[in-house]
Amino acid sequence: MVKAKMAIASVVLLLGPLAMQAKQVRATIVYDDIATEVNAATDNAAQLWISTADLIRATRFELKPQGVCRDQLCFPVPKSRASEFVRKGSTATLFNLLAFAQLVNQPVAHDAALSTWYFGLRSDQRQGLASLQAPDFTLPDMAGKMHLLSEFRGKKVLLVTWASW
Amino acid sequence: MKDAGPWITAAKPTYTALIDEKHLVSKLYNMVNVPTGVWINEEGKIVRPNEVAFVDDRFKTFTGLDSEPYLTALKDWVEKGDKSAYAMGEERLREKLSVNDPNFILAAAQFGLGEHLYKSGHLTEAIPHFKEAQRLNPKSWNYKRQAYALSDAKRDYGTTFADEVQKSGGSKVYYPPPDLPGATGSVDKRP
Repeated sequence: MVKAKMAIASVVLLLGPLAMQAKQVRATIVYDDIATEVNAATDNAAQLWISTADLIRATRFELKPQGVCRDQLCFPVPKSRASEFVRKGSTATLFNLLAFAQLVNQPVAHDAALSTWYFGLRSDQRQGLASLQAPDFTLPDMAGKMHLLSEFRGKKVLLVTWASW
Repeated sequence: MKDAGPWITAAKPTYTALIDEKHLVSKLYNMVNVPTGVWINEEGKIVRPNEVAFVDDRFKTFTGLDSEPYLTALKDWVEKGDKSAYAMGEERLREKLSVNDPNFILAAAQFGLGEHLYKSGHLTEAIPHFKEAQRLNPKSWNYKRQAYALSDAKRDYGTTFADEVQKSGGSKVYYPPPDLPGATGSVDKRP
């Protein structure tokens, strides 16, 4: 019994400093290659807490009863791990964007000096290659007119990339 | 636009030419060099993935690659569609697309961060991320060439494009030739 109590005490001691490590920063979140400035709390490794309002602003994802959703896409948050994703802040509900990235198998690159987090392609965005369907994209021509790859359905497409290096 | 624009204007293309400042296509398709070509059929399905796609011989002295076999293959596919011998089977397509290499996936994020920092005026801070992208995906010439083009390669990376080409075995292996059935050097006879 004594040993069990000591083990619990050790866990509390370990969790205490980790929770306190999260510091307030002005962070840049680059999501879908669009940069957004937000206030965040972070421990630089597994936690990047932002308000749910900033979640929408930076990612267009929204916290809903059924999960984290954008348009028709919804990722349910595992109920048993809800505290890893959502918590009540002093003025707003906070969402841990790094826990979400891990959930959706999304690579994240971080620059500590500039408090910048770059979020890469989620697993659902990489499924195009696995299914062998050509991943769709929208890009401008020289006149700024946007073109969608899928607009060319019904025709064969030779997609060639080049650079002027 | 500033860099590629003059080339597009001079070429007066009859096809659609798009500007991809953030290397989105490269990221979506796991491309590692230019020129890279992908064949996509009428249903939007890939039938030949990422391969060197020269459509003329202007770099033949450097690459040793003749564009004729690739053009012949392309014309065959245009005529015969998925029945063309040059349209690949699904097994080979998946192998060549390197769908789920976690290092490549992370490399793309590091490269994206480097690009963002550079465009925000932080070249010095971008360099470690470009280097990390190159380490995670050493096969990507795009990561090397883009990073070298943005700074002094010798000073910031201790190398140059020419040095790297030599290290890889020289200009004749810098571009692996398209893996075309019946072509010299074809390594796989599967459809």
